[in-house]
Amino acid sequence: MDNGPFMNRRGFFTASGGISIAALLAACGGDSGSDTPAPASTPEPAASAAATTAPPAVATPKFDPASETGEIKIFEWAGYEVPEMWDSYLKGPYNATSPLKFTFLENDQQALAKVASGVQYDLIHPCVAYWPDYKAAGLIQAFDPSLLPDYEGIPAPVRAGGVDADGLIYHVPFDVGFSTLVYRADKVDPAELSWNVLQDAKHKGRMSLFSDDVSIIKIGHLINAGVPVNPNVMTSEEIAASMETMKKVAPNLRNFWGSQTDTVNDFVNGNIDITYAWPDGYWKIKNHEKMAGVPIEYMWPREGRLAWVCGLVLGSQAAAPGRATAAVAASNTPAVGAWLTDVYQYGSAQQNGVTDLIKDKALLTAFSLDDPTAFAPPRAWFEEPLPNRAEYVKAGQEVKASAGA
Amino acid sequence: MASNVEIPRAAEIGVRVRREGRFRAGQRLSTFGLVGPTVIALAIFFLAPLWYIFEFSTGQKWVAPNDAAALISGELTSISGALWSDFFGDGVIIELMPNLGDQGAAHVTVPAALIGLLFVVLILAAVMGRRLVPRYGGRVVGFSFVALLVPFMTLPAGDHILRLVQLSSESTDLRLFFKSVSMATTSSVIAVLIAFPVAYYLAFCVTKSKYTWLLIVITPFLTSYLLRIFAWKVVLGDQGLINSGLASLGVISADAPLTFLIYNQFTVMIVLTYAWVPFICLPIFIALENMDRRLLEAATDLGASRLRAFAKVTLPLAAPGVVAAFLFVFIPSIGEYITPSLVGGTKGYMFGQAIADHFIGGAFDWQGGSVLALFLLTVVLFLTAATSKFLRAGGGTA
Repeated sequence: MDNGPFMNRRGFFTASGGISIAALLAACGGDSGSDTPAPASTPEPAASAAATTAPPAVATPKFDPASETGEIKIFEWAGYEVPEMWDSYLKGPYNATSPLKFTFLENDQQALAKVASGVQYDLIHPCVAYWPDYKAAGLIQAFDPSLLPDYEGIPAPVRAGGVDADGLIYHVPFDVGFSTLVYRADKVDPAELSWNVLQDAKHKGRMSLFSDDVSIIKIGHLINAGVPVNPNVMTSEEIAASMETMKKVAPNLRNFWGSQTDTVNDFVNGNIDITYAWPDGYWKIKNHEKMAGVPIEYMWPREGRLAWVCGLVLGSQAAAPGRATAAVAASNTPAVGAWLTDVYQYGSAQQNGVTDLIKDKALLTAFSLDDPTAFAPPRAWFEEPLPNRAEYVKAGQEVKASAGA
Repeated sequence: MASNVEIPRAAEIGVRVRREGRFRAGQRLSTFGLVGPTVIALAIFFLAPLWYIFEFSTGQKWVAPNDAAALISGELTSISGALWSDFFGDGVIIELMPNLGDQGAAHVTVPAALIGLLFVVLILAAVMGRRLVPRYGGRVVGFSFVALLVPFMTLPAGDHILRLVQLSSESTDLRLFFKSVSMATTSSVIAVLIAFPVAYYLAFCVTKSKYTWLLIVITPFLTSYLLRIFAWKVVLGDQGLINSGLASLGVISADAPLTFLIYNQFTVMIVLTYAWVPFICLPIFIALENMDRRLLEAATDLGASRLRAFAKVTLPLAAPGVVAAFLFVFIPSIGEYITPSLVGGTKGYMFGQAIADHFIGGAFDWQGGSVLALFLLTVVLFLTAATSKFLRAGGGTA
């Protein structure tokens, strides 16, 4: 019947269905031709932008910051937005017309996915393993080295990870640090100073690891080797073997932490005795009031520590690439490097005179910042771009899923 | 008499028809004005993403629009039948009393499709039993519910979870799915069992200010969910409220806390149950509140005991509220991400986390994540459709 004041149910559903389909088609409109591959002659915006703004293969970019305008959008780790890190830029000539605007990222994976999905930033702060993904996707461009006066102060081995085969600089390292186990020395036998401690049933339910899939697999490789070995160049067989080892390790763990704050809280509240942490996590645990009198150590496993290098990359569609580079230069000074260590206990990629500027000299010893051998194999394995990262990740996910299943 | 009847002229009829036409057009417009925005919002924010997920899962239609998108599209060049096949694995392992040992008291492997079919039959029997088998319908419904729930019900047992029957698989993802169903089912059943008496008391025993009391019951919802989870960490931690309390009472040693309280499946179920109980009091309360009390009087007059009246009158009439309450807990719980991430530990890892790991992990395996997400959606949609009969008033009596 259609006598009521409102249309009947069938009529409404027919009409609303029509609207839904229309809306759906509109929403998916850009994809309507996706049954067939996109012709190579019609590149999409990101690729074309990369082609037009990126320099020729071996030509060094030249920017003119004085003639540029527009704000600098920075996709940054929380805590790095403070004025101390950008001091000389904020006091310089460009800040008035090109202020720094911050958005915060949670991890490398999320940052890459967000930028790849089309969100534009002028500067992004990925770790060294991820910048090649940005470059491959046409999301970043090379820096103009003439605008980076302190760049040479970064040790060559650390710089090398951010330079492509043509010698162009895509990633300017900023922060470096270890990733290893924090442990209660009264609970761990000195003979166990190895990643293999994770296999010890004596500590079952009292240990925690970072939920990062790549780290899980690297740790498994170091356990399997029992001696220093580069975990950045694993074969498929080694990844599979590492996965099996970590599947045995996982039941010994209390959790895989996603936020370092959580594991610090777990440690100081007595839920765990051993955890994977970065330098600031170790320092927070060691100096926490609840840990007074408890011997807390930052392990130097006999297989070597894991370590990371993160830095800044320049968005391919940056409106003011010269000024963005000037901001990177501001964060690359020795003074900022010393501040980074004093406040966050991280190592600075910038090494030129930094140790003299660090106020808390205890940090130099605690993190071996004055020991050049500490930041090189076989004592530490810095992360590197991984061509087969997907294999690492899938194996790591399998470890976590198996532990819970 | 007939001569007194006024026959409207053609022009008047035309005016009336046009007036009525305008009236109806106006009503149609107001209908769309009221409901249209919601429908459009659903289409854009629910159906369109769903369509993308479907395309990701098939891997056949998706062509990355640019290099950047290709980065997060995963390996979308092959047909994803293999992914679905991987997900379902070779078969489902049914273990009896799995806690007894590696393979439990007994175990058998059956094809995943057969298990899926069995569940479909059981759900339909639970819903339509009374109609299909008039004489023994009640027993069919009861048996189906028990057969559906028992494999997934759990009991806390120290650091472990005790199950009488457990569904497992060689496929890690399917095994995780069964575990998540199990945890969501247990949480939902316990939440309903806790919420029902509260709602019953409010509906039948409280006479003054019952809506104020209802508001008090749902007060926990005034605080952030994250805050409540962290509060549980404070309560359940090794040096938390419970362990400290027990230690100070001398029940346990401070050096040997009850470690099973946090970072396992048990914790996740406690938090999920706690989180949803206040909320699901509402649908149960409304179902009970709207009940015609004269039916209870009639049952008593006809000689029914209070228990029998409850079983034969109150419970069937409250069924829509109870089923809605169950679904309100079950549906969000089965895909839970944040609760197991914070209090689940290695043992509490759930299906929702596996989906998230596919999407946000460094492999950017959106295709694999889409397959898992679509499977979950299919299960939830089927369950909701199958039980929708109960959601209608009086549906439980059919």
